[in-house]
Amino acid sequence: MNDIIELKTWQGEAVAFEDAVIGSGAMKDVCFSPDRSYVIGFFREPQGAATRERLRVICEDYRAGIFGQVGGDYWRDLLCWPSGVVEYQGRVGVVVPVYAPQFFFEYGSANNDMLGIKGREKEGKWFASANNQARFLDPRERGHWLNYLLICTRIARAVRRMHAAGLAHSDLSYKNVLVDPRSGSACIIDLDGLVVPGKYPPDVVGTPDFIAPEVVMTAHLPHASPERKLPSIATDRHALAVLIYMYLLYRHPLRGCKVHDPDPSCDEALAMGERALFVEHPQDPSNRICVADARPSELPWCDTQRMPYTLTGPYLTPLFERAFTAGLHDPRLRPSAEDWEFALVRTADLSLPCANRGCIQGWFVFDNRRVPSCPFCGTPYPWPLPLLNFYSSRHGDSFRPDDQRLMVYTGQSLFEWHVNRYLAPNERLTQAQQARVGYFELRQGTWWLVNERLPQCRDLSAGRDVAVGERVALRDGLQLLLSREAGGRLALVQMAGAA
Amino acid sequence: MSERRLPVYILVDTSGSMRGEPIHSLNVGLKAMEQALRRDPFALDTVHLSLITFDLEARELFPLTPLDAVRIPEIEVPSSGATFLGAALDLLVQRVDRDVRRGSETQHGDWRPMVFVMTDGAPSDTQAYKEATAAVKQRDFARIVACAAGPKARVEALRELTDTVVSLDTLDGAMFAQFFQWVSGSIAAGGRSGPDAGDALPALPSELRIAI
Repeated sequence: MNDIIELKTWQGEAVAFEDAVIGSGAMKDVCFSPDRSYVIGFFREPQGAATRERLRVICEDYRAGIFGQVGGDYWRDLLCWPSGVVEYQGRVGVVVPVYAPQFFFEYGSANNDMLGIKGREKEGKWFASANNQARFLDPRERGHWLNYLLICTRIARAVRRMHAAGLAHSDLSYKNVLVDPRSGSACIIDLDGLVVPGKYPPDVVGTPDFIAPEVVMTAHLPHASPERKLPSIATDRHALAVLIYMYLLYRHPLRGCKVHDPDPSCDEALAMGERALFVEHPQDPSNRICVADARPSELPWCDTQRMPYTLTGPYLTPLFERAFTAGLHDPRLRPSAEDWEFALVRTADLSLPCANRGCIQGWFVFDNRRVPSCPFCGTPYPWPLPLLNFYSSRHGDSFRPDDQRLMVYTGQSLFEWHVNRYLAPNERLTQAQQARVGYFELRQGTWWLVNERLPQCRDLSAGRDVAVGERVALRDGLQLLLSREAGGRLALVQMAGAA
Repeated sequence: MSERRLPVYILVDTSGSMRGEPIHSLNVGLKAMEQALRRDPFALDTVHLSLITFDLEARELFPLTPLDAVRIPEIEVPSSGATFLGAALDLLVQRVDRDVRRGSETQHGDWRPMVFVMTDGAPSDTQAYKEATAAVKQRDFARIVACAAGPKARVEALRELTDTVVSLDTLDGAMFAQFFQWVSGSIAAGGRSGPDAGDALPALPSELRIAI
């Protein structure tokens, strides 16, 4: 039995910890609470007044700002936020909730967990590397591609919330994001390094692979130098773009064949800094990934001809281009977390299940072809594919396209955020708005929309109302008014896929 | 490109004085290090490991090998024998020259290699040791860590090789376990960041001392 030490946080809450270190990070030693519902991470080094003050406002003002509002509970799953600061024997400690159970490996690695990682944390690096994915992970841990879109959505959403509060994470990387591809969940951890407006920034540069070029280029300068670029919301945006690219394509966007210097350290600094160049740059092909040099386990992912970033669809493609071409060296041009969240949500609606049961990715983004096929395994989509194109009214009877589509397949549902353009699936939805309003079913070769909760639904083509409980057959050209309220939408049906 | 490779060389003393409990503890420690590294997704993607032993001669137990293919064998110790650390360093230099990829116009180089040397005595081949340390210094290593294990280990001799000398007071299992835990922490940190991103070694366990 370990000794149990009881103390009070600066915030006045009684906490306790077992006097035994269960794990050590770069800066902290971690101890369990007796009931295992939280941990306390003690900094090994003494912390100065600036850090103490920064930790205090993270645990008090900013915590209250994010969690204390309506819908604040939503963030508990996405942000592992410190709840208090303690001091024990001269060491400063941060009280943090334990991670949810889905963030620990249930099966671990392949071949009966040959690496012995069962029960360990699902650090993002396991999933963002083609080699780790293909060779080491148990197939049951890998999850399907739609869940990776969901993971990215949740990360972008959490980052958007922090940025809205003026906070920068400063060290966003697959090390500080736990992911669960089996459920599509994600959680950002290590939030005690947040950059707080008006407070002295933490002394971190970030994790290699994710550090913005301007930070890499000025890392040799003294911390206080006016030329030195420190982690900020703009550098978070770079890290977020890299993270999303890696979770969807299992390769790094800047690691190509171009050699900048024979010395590995200089080469690295140039490749990630001053001369950073997108491996899929549309005009400059000089940093493409050399497929001949790749390990077999990295294929086909490092073959950018076979797996181009454009397979992520029409919403994400321009964001990757902005992030890794113009925005790479001009932080002001980088897509915001909100841009990514918006594009990811729409991309999920544009995704289709692959007909090949053996396809590892299992889902892909519709490419606007009459007969789409899965870019991952090449299997054509063999079924009829109705798709709903959403239009909304700006004033009166004129409806304009919203650049949003919904693919119809077995198990697909219609939600409030499809029906009204003012809604988006995020933390602001009420419980009632989260319930589906209709679903799709295939009966005797015809696709139907079953109206469950759309009181104003009307088939404009036939000129008849579709009452709640009724259904309407989907056919090419069908115009369906879903709502007459402000922001209410009209769906124009197209039929693709095999006839 | 694939992840840049991080070459790691481990040199261990198998002289006669390591017989019995010390070599047993060493084997346990190496095994634990292998397991810890294989649980690290960063190390798995980058680390290549080689193991060299030395007694009356230096032996390469296995050349630079991707971590997931490494199976550290049970190391045995001859009944008696000297400590030819010079020969081991000479072999190390040959292998580094042969196996570590240098950057060129068309190929990314490996990270600069890391070396961990463990001995419980002092080099018996003093002249060869002198020459080999000079040769080592001409090469570009990211980090050389020497471990002086047990009361007979000569710290001063190791100082000629590197400034980073770690002392273990005794040659028991707990000490080795801690040392190799620390070694795997250092290697894993290199795998995450490249060995020269920041010069900080991970925090030392409390029972070890950096020899002064």
